[in-house]
Amino acid sequence: MRKTLFLYLLLFPCSLVAALAQNKVISGTVTGSDDKQPLPGASIKVEGTSQGTTTSVDGNFSLSVPEKGNLLISYLGYVSKTVKISENSVYTILLEPNTRLLSDVIITGYGNQNRKTLTSSVTSVKAEDIANVPSASSDQLLQGRAAGVQVSTNSGSPGGGIFVRIRGTASINGSSDPLYIVDGIPIQASNLAQNGVGGSTTNPIADINPSDIESIDVLKDASATAIYGSRAANGVVLITTKRGANGQAKISAGIYAGVQNLIKRPALVSGSQFESLMNESAVNNGKVAPYANPAAAINTQWNDLVLNDDAPIRNADLSISGGSDKVKYLVSANNFMQQGVIRNSQYDRSTGRVNLDFNANSKLKVGTSILYSRSQRAIVQNDDNISGAFSGSHFYPSNMTVYKTDGTYQRIPTIDHPLATVDEADINMATGRFLGTVFGEYEFIPGLRLKSSFSVDYTNNTESTYLNTFTNTGSAVQGSADIYNLNDNNWIQENVLSYQFDLNKNSFNVLAGSSLQESETKFIRSTGTGFPTNDFTQINAAAVLRAGSSSTSYGIASIFSRINYDYDKKYLVTLNVRSDASSRFGKSNRWGIFPAVGLGWLVSEENFMKDISFVNSFKIRGGYGITGNQSGIRDFNSLGLWQGAAYSGAPGVRPFQLENPDLKWETTKQTDLGFDLSMFNNRLTFNAGYYYKKTEDLLLAVPLPRSSGFQSVVQNLGEIENKGLEFALGYDILPKTSALSWNVSGNIAGNRNKVLKLVAPFNVYGRDLFRYEEGAAMYSFYMHPQTGVDPQTGTIQFEDVNGDGKFTSSADRKIVGNANPDFFGGLTNNLAYKGLDLMFLFQYSYGNEQLNWTQFFMQHGGSRATNYTESQLNRWQKPGDVTEVPKMVAANYASDLRPSRFVEDGSYLRLKNLSLGYKIPSKFTKKMMLSSARVYVSGQNLLTFTKYSGLDPEVTATASTSLTQGVEFFTTPSPRVIMTGINVSF
Amino acid sequence: MRPNSDKIQMSGALTAESGAGKGRLRKFSSGGTLLLGFSLLFALGGCEKVLDQKPLNEVDQNIAITDKGSANAAVAGLYNELQSANYYGANFFIIGDVSTDVAQSIGTWDHYREMDTYQVAASGNVENNNFYTRAYSTVNIANNILEKIPVLASVADADKGPMLGAAYFVRALALFDLTRLYGGVPGVVGTMGVPVITKATKTVPEVEYPARPALAVSYAAVEQDLIKALELLPETTNKSIASKGAARALLSRLYLYLGKNAEVITYSSAVISDSKYVLNPVYADIFASKLTTESIFELSFNDSDQSGIRNWYNPVGGRGDLTTHETFYAEATANPNDVRGKLYGFSASNGRYQTKYQKAGGVDNIHILRIAEMYLNRAEARAQTGDLGGALDDLDLIRVRAGIGPISPRPATREAVLQAIWNEEKFEFAFEGHRLFDLTRTGQIMTVLQNIPRKNGPAISIPVIGRAVFPIPNFELDANKNLIQNEAYR
Repeated sequence: MRKTLFLYLLLFPCSLVAALAQNKVISGTVTGSDDKQPLPGASIKVEGTSQGTTTSVDGNFSLSVPEKGNLLISYLGYVSKTVKISENSVYTILLEPNTRLLSDVIITGYGNQNRKTLTSSVTSVKAEDIANVPSASSDQLLQGRAAGVQVSTNSGSPGGGIFVRIRGTASINGSSDPLYIVDGIPIQASNLAQNGVGGSTTNPIADINPSDIESIDVLKDASATAIYGSRAANGVVLITTKRGANGQAKISAGIYAGVQNLIKRPALVSGSQFESLMNESAVNNGKVAPYANPAAAINTQWNDLVLNDDAPIRNADLSISGGSDKVKYLVSANNFMQQGVIRNSQYDRSTGRVNLDFNANSKLKVGTSILYSRSQRAIVQNDDNISGAFSGSHFYPSNMTVYKTDGTYQRIPTIDHPLATVDEADINMATGRFLGTVFGEYEFIPGLRLKSSFSVDYTNNTESTYLNTFTNTGSAVQGSADIYNLNDNNWIQENVLSYQFDLNKNSFNVLAGSSLQESETKFIRSTGTGFPTNDFTQINAAAVLRAGSSSTSYGIASIFSRINYDYDKKYLVTLNVRSDASSRFGKSNRWGIFPAVGLGWLVSEENFMKDISFVNSFKIRGGYGITGNQSGIRDFNSLGLWQGAAYSGAPGVRPFQLENPDLKWETTKQTDLGFDLSMFNNRLTFNAGYYYKKTEDLLLAVPLPRSSGFQSVVQNLGEIENKGLEFALGYDILPKTSALSWNVSGNIAGNRNKVLKLVAPFNVYGRDLFRYEEGAAMYSFYMHPQTGVDPQTGTIQFEDVNGDGKFTSSADRKIVGNANPDFFGGLTNNLAYKGLDLMFLFQYSYGNEQLNWTQFFMQHGGSRATNYTESQLNRWQKPGDVTEVPKMVAANYASDLRPSRFVEDGSYLRLKNLSLGYKIPSKFTKKMMLSSARVYVSGQNLLTFTKYSGLDPEVTATASTSLTQGVEFFTTPSPRVIMTGINVSF
Repeated sequence: MRPNSDKIQMSGALTAESGAGKGRLRKFSSGGTLLLGFSLLFALGGCEKVLDQKPLNEVDQNIAITDKGSANAAVAGLYNELQSANYYGANFFIIGDVSTDVAQSIGTWDHYREMDTYQVAASGNVENNNFYTRAYSTVNIANNILEKIPVLASVADADKGPMLGAAYFVRALALFDLTRLYGGVPGVVGTMGVPVITKATKTVPEVEYPARPALAVSYAAVEQDLIKALELLPETTNKSIASKGAARALLSRLYLYLGKNAEVITYSSAVISDSKYVLNPVYADIFASKLTTESIFELSFNDSDQSGIRNWYNPVGGRGDLTTHETFYAEATANPNDVRGKLYGFSASNGRYQTKYQKAGGVDNIHILRIAEMYLNRAEARAQTGDLGGALDDLDLIRVRAGIGPISPRPATREAVLQAIWNEEKFEFAFEGHRLFDLTRTGQIMTVLQNIPRKNGPAISIPVIGRAVFPIPNFELDANKNLIQNEAYR
């Protein structure tokens, strides 16, 4: 009995205190300090007891409290506040919105930390910054908002991939994508699509509903990322989803809808212009002009046939959250639908989430984060694809009719009819994704916790293609169908033991942990051709069947430890070490050790700073660490392998890859220096950082002489460096307390990338458009440097690169620029006046080159029978003409020429987002039984300032390879979005 | 770190963890014990399993060729390599025609337009790159077979012979194709051959960085391999694999390049007198059917193993990037009785396109060696050695089969007879990848490939004889500093 009582008291000490205390009843209101609106559902608790309540719809509460003690008031999105219980019985409590101050709690790997005592470089983006931005995917939301994080949209295709680089590109053949961690789970973030419909990719991050996100923290330097060791070289993006808080159920709903249009329509020549140009080319080439009367030509606007004007986008969110001391919950549902700017392309996603926290007893906490996401993509052939909808509608001559007289499609060779591509092909991708974690956390003694979790990230992709007999491909084989089914199953089990304790002025936070992860991908494909009619679309009706399957897997085992130490909150030390083993490497090289150290000095806490009162916080920090990379290579790259190679019904084998038993981790050594400054009552914040990253033992597909029978072997050879500066500035021009508040935050970063060491230079992409060589940056364009066009003759002129006195196309190519920006960043303005709020974000990239490869094909000078862009009209015509577009004669447009004039300045400044909202006053919302309501209009990609002549300086056509960037090749441009929405809560 | 340290590492870490909690376990509720126990069990048990992953799509190189079945599979892999669309499956045939007066490029695929206009770029011509890469990977498979099969104890020598013969034959074919495309023809163009690789590449240190040998050395290596192949290969009626007949036929072709007319006659005659090989009376049947009596060596394609050549020429369901030169079509159909002139389709956009290879789904077989060539090879060798009558007899067999009857009047000079034979070759083997090499081999290239009208652009002429060979792809020069580029591309 005594034992039971002891345990009872041990487990529930609070109940004793509560029972002994004298009670009185107080009441009051909780309002936001920003707009003075009442906060419904805010939690009010008596500190150290289970006594508590939540505010009503109008922000009022009443509560029985002891005579002495503290009230703890908390509300999602606001800074929690402690109020001392006084003799008053009525309390007016103002909560400050949770703005990004230096003292924020931010999520770090395996824990969280006060920003003040952080020694590393972490950029955080909070829920409210990215709320209601029309985007399928949350990684896109980092664009322009996080210093040093370069984000660009690969393609405007809905649900398409995003290019994300944190502090530069650190690998050549390995992946340079950051590691994405969602609620502690390292997720599968690479493109799983198998169906080759051009070079575009799909984005697995889009499976996560952006409205579920509480914060995104980007770990940039080694002292922050090294806790993720082997996978951290490219930075880590920690996505934390919202969880329930104490209080009565809060129901939130949001809906937005809008329309999307091309920012810029392709400028193609008219039918008459086409015929005149063709005549000019023929005459220049000594042939007979083919068109007798260009003025009478018809004019077909092919692009109008495939474009989807006013393409709709809409989103609906519903969530319920709340909880008690025992259980906290958040349940949410979402549907997002975005049509593409090309007809018949669409992305439709539905998600459901349940996040639970359950206090089994005062020591044991269990919880879950569970997401199920189902998405459907309707895809149209496009992007990096000569036979795409957009390429077809560019290539088809404007003097041609859409249909033949018999009503069938009028075709040109090579490229299918744009209408057939859009209307007769049925390409879909259905993705089901389960991302779930269960965890238990046990507190042995205060501060000593063991957290164990088991998580699963499971994706099932079904991709299907049906090409009916009206498509060119389908016509030859009486219809063609493909089905791909991919199952990607990852599990991860992690244990973290942490202990937080203080010894006088020494504060320690120590953790040690282990992690095991296994990933398995299985893929089957079946193909059928020969369908009875176009109404049969399933492969079981096909006459000719083919099938295939494959499977691959990898595993990672890790142990890790971290010590955070500070003395008197002034001197900060972080030590990290992680050791990882990957099945991808040879047995002798499996384990790698990744240590890091971070140091910080909170100068503002020193006595000599006490008098400088306008400085709230000033911290100098630095760090050094080693991180690794194992992604981007194949699972079994270290082994010598043979593969199947059947011949005419007989099973066959052939060599597949050379063995490299020495294959090991690619490592990045990073040095980081920076400071964080906050002044004038935190109205001004400034962060600056410098980094130097050197990647060694590159996982490189080292080119071999192909006379060996192999093209390359993955070896740890080569070095790359990335170095850069990044700055972020935030300033409350008008403070939050004034009627009109105005906050500006901006960031700028510059990264310099250089390949330091390679075994041999090599070229990539069709026509060898990119070259990798020592001393050059990655993504360098390899062209014939065009010096001009002779004004007298109209002849194209090139630099004689090798100086042998003549121009030879095979010998006179060189690097003429690269796709890396010199500087990039963003500038956000937030203004609020009473219930009105205005936000606009400018995002920019300066100094990056963009290859307008579309233009290369559309400025063919008559060497092809396809259409022209209007740029061809600038061709040289008569002596004295000064232009860079040469005379339309075959030699100037020879097939082996890659003129550098198509490499353009891709710098741009873009009004990425603008939103104007109005919070409906509570006197109206009350009548509507709502606790709050906000209506808004917003836009995306509203203005773009650029000299680039293509449709979008941001896109790249070659997303499916990590080796290229910055090529527009009939890529779907990002649309301009205009939309309106409403958020309400009950 | 040392091998096998993974287990030690894992348990070490966890011991430390459990140590921290151990002493207190009893005092706390079973929840903590369970949690700790669970996590320990999981971490300890899983480590080895997680790190020990086995490839399922491929097998280790050491177990790839171990017995008769797998040795046969390696030989099938050899033919599979020839089947690739980068090689005989499409590309190599196209190369042989698009660079001549037979076929032209009309689409967007610049790589074939470069070949069409004698502007093949050393850097970035994907099709040139693909052929080079694939021909040498073929050589490497052959080398693997030649190293691994002789030492297999479980395979009888009688079984080994045909396998090794196939490896010698295919290696010879690949080296021959490389030599004639990049090296040239002795006395016509080129002095450098291509690297002759005779050792299998099994590990990185074994990779060779050879210089280019003399042209004659390359051809000598082809000859040597073919002689060994002839010795080892079986006499077989299976025309989808290499046979003694195929070795003889390729020797006949090789000697034609080398101007060894007596040998050409010997080997052509040997094949012609072999009852397995008979001119197919219906020309169109050779292509409409498969593995007819006409064939000596024909790559066999089926629904799961497709050739890509149709796609390039046929606009109906294909890319249709290539079509016939109008001047060639006019010549090929000048005699309305010529059955070879019937094998064309028409579309408004493409004009006349070849339909020799037109089976839907890409199931056309590819004819590498067929008996008609033996007659024309022998005819040429006979004409070169003064036997004009014999030459014309051989030629007439081909003409009669084509439906145009014996040549009349019979030419009387050596030059005229040769011209008649070469002219017949042009029509007989159109779109079968012969033309470029025949023009080079016979020295006609600089006179014939002049002012060839093109659909998209002015008439085109080969600028210098050096462009009768292709450039060694740039990636090879980057990777192997010992190589020298062909003169016309420097």
